[in-house]
Amino acid sequence: MGPLVVNEIISANTNLFLAFLIGIGFGFVLEASGFSSSRTLAGMFYGYDTTVLKVFFTGAIVAMLGLLFFSLFGWIDLDLVYINPTFLWSAIVGGAIMGLGFILGGFCPGTAFCAFSIGKLDALMFIGGLIIGIVIFTEGFPLWKDLFYAENMGTPTMGEFFGISRGVFALLLILAAFGMFWVGEWAEKKYPRDEY
Amino acid sequence: MKNMRIKLAMVLIPLGLIIAAVPENTTKPYKLTASQMLQEIKEGTQFFTPDQVADMIVQKDPTLQLIDVRGKDEYEKYHLPGAVNIPLSDILSPDNEDMLNQDIKMNVFYSNGSTKSNEAWMLLRQLGYENNYVLQGGLNYWAETIMNPQKPPSTSPDDEIAKYDFRKGASAALGGGVLQTSSSTKTSGPKPPIKKRKKKKRAAGGC
Amino acid sequence: MGNNNSKKYLNPYLGGVLLGLVLLAAFYISGRGLGASGAVKSMVVTGIETIAPAHAEGTEYYQNYDKSHPGGPLHNWLVWEMLGVLVGGFISGAVSGRLKWKVEHSPKITSKTRLIFALIGGILFGFGSQMGRGCTSGSALSGMAVMSLGGFITMAFIFGTGFAFAYFARKLWI
Repeated sequence: MGPLVVNEIISANTNLFLAFLIGIGFGFVLEASGFSSSRTLAGMFYGYDTTVLKVFFTGAIVAMLGLLFFSLFGWIDLDLVYINPTFLWSAIVGGAIMGLGFILGGFCPGTAFCAFSIGKLDALMFIGGLIIGIVIFTEGFPLWKDLFYAENMGTPTMGEFFGISRGVFALLLILAAFGMFWVGEWAEKKYPRDEY
Repeated sequence: MKNMRIKLAMVLIPLGLIIAAVPENTTKPYKLTASQMLQEIKEGTQFFTPDQVADMIVQKDPTLQLIDVRGKDEYEKYHLPGAVNIPLSDILSPDNEDMLNQDIKMNVFYSNGSTKSNEAWMLLRQLGYENNYVLQGGLNYWAETIMNPQKPPSTSPDDEIAKYDFRKGASAALGGGVLQTSSSTKTSGPKPPIKKRKKKKRAAGGC
Repeated sequence: MGNNNSKKYLNPYLGGVLLGLVLLAAFYISGRGLGASGAVKSMVVTGIETIAPAHAEGTEYYQNYDKSHPGGPLHNWLVWEMLGVLVGGFISGAVSGRLKWKVEHSPKITSKTRLIFALIGGILFGFGSQMGRGCTSGSALSGMAVMSLGGFITMAFIFGTGFAFAYFARKLWI
C-alpha cells in the first residue's frame, strides 16, 4: 500500500533514486509538451498557445483522479500523502509575485530547468534569478516572517472547505477543466500566432 | 487536437462521475498479518493479572487507563475506579481513536470475563495500535482474587501469604475496608513499558 | 498552431495525461508531489552555509531549514528529482532535435532585453515561490492534485496576475 516510502516498503535511498527517475519522466514530459519554450509558456496569457493550460490541468486532474481511485481500491493511504498547507496571505502574495515573475520571465522553476537542459540560455538567466530571489527571501526572512505565517488554515482540501465530498469536487474540477480547454482552443483560433 | 480533447473527456468525465458517486474508502487496513497476530496471542503478553492492575490502582499509577468494554448499563451499575466506558460495539468509532491509538497511557480493557476485552484488544492490535492490554479473567476473576481473596493455608510459602496480604489491602483500598497494607509488597510483575507509537507521518513535501 | 514546430511536440492532452501519471507515481512512491523551487532552495541554503558558515549559524531561518531538511542536498528528494528533470529534458530534446544553445525571444526585443527580463522574472519567481510555499509545480500542480485549498489559491493568483499584467508585457512575447 502506498505511499511506498512512508509505509517503509522502500528505503529512503531507494526513494531518492526513484525521485531521480520520476524527475526524468517529469523533464521528458515537460520538454516533449513544449514547456521548454518560454514563448509557448507565455502564449497562454495571450491566447495564442494554450498548451500550458491543457497540459497543466490535464496533469492535475489525471493525478487527482488517480489518487482518488487508488484510495478507493485501498492502494494508497491519502492520510499519509502530503497536502500543501494553506497560509492564506502568503499563498496570495506569493502567487501574485510568481504570476508577475511568470509574465516577465516566461518560465516557472520547473520549466526553466527543463529549458536549460536543451540549451536555452534565457532559462539559465531565469535560474540565476531564482537563486537571487531565494537568497533575498531567506536573508530578509524576519521582514516577511509575519506575512509568511499569517492566517494559518491548516491543510484543508477544497472539498472540506466547501463542504462537499472530494469526489463531487473532483467531478466539478474536471468539468471546469474541460470548459477551460474549450475556451482555450477557441482562443487559439481567434488569436493565431504562426510565426513564433 | 479537438478529437483528443473529446476522447479525453469521454474517459475522464465518466471517471469523475464514478468517483463522485462512490463513497470514500475509509476502511482501515490491517497492519498486522494473521501469523503476527497468532504469535502475539500465543505469547499472551496482552494480559495483565488482577494483582498487577490492583497494584497500579492502589499506587495511583498515572499511566493506567482502565477501559470498560461492556455495555453502558453494566458500566453504570459497577465499574472499576477510574475506568471509562467504551462498549465493544463502539471500539472502532473515530471518536475513540485518540484514546485507543496513543503512546502515553496503558489501556487495560476489561469485561465480565475476558472474552469481550480480548476481542477489543485483538481488533485494535490488528490495526497496529500499541499499549492496549487486557485484564486477565475479567471482573469475575477480579472479584475472586481482589475483592474476596481466599486466605491461603498458613503452611503456604511466604509469597502466597504476601500476595494474600496485598489483595486484602487492595480490596480494602478499593472497596472501602479498613485493613492496612504494606504497599511495598511486590506482587505485580514488571510492568510492560509504554511503547512509543511509530506514528507514520505524512510525507514531507512542498518546495 | 499549424506551424511545423508544434507537430514535433506531443499533443498537449497526451502530455497532460503523461504528466498526471508521473505526478501520480510521485504520490504513490513518495507520498508527495513534484516540485522545483525547493531543489534550488536546498542548494542555496547549502551554498550560503559553505560560503558564510558563521552567518548561517546565526540565522534562525537556515537553522530551521536544516532541522526540517536533514542530510543536505544529497538527501533532498527535490534535488534528485530536478537532476532527473535535466536528464529527462535533455533526452526529449535530443530525440526531437531541439538541443541548441539559444536565447529565445520575440522578434521585437533583443536577446539582451530577454535575458534581463528572464533574470527579473527569475528573481520574482524565486522570491514568490518561497513566500507561497512552492512554485507552479510544488504548490499549484501538486496542490491541485491533492485538492489543497492553498494549492488552488496559489494557482489562481499565479495565473490571475499573469493575465492581469499580460497586456503590459506583451512586447516581450508577441
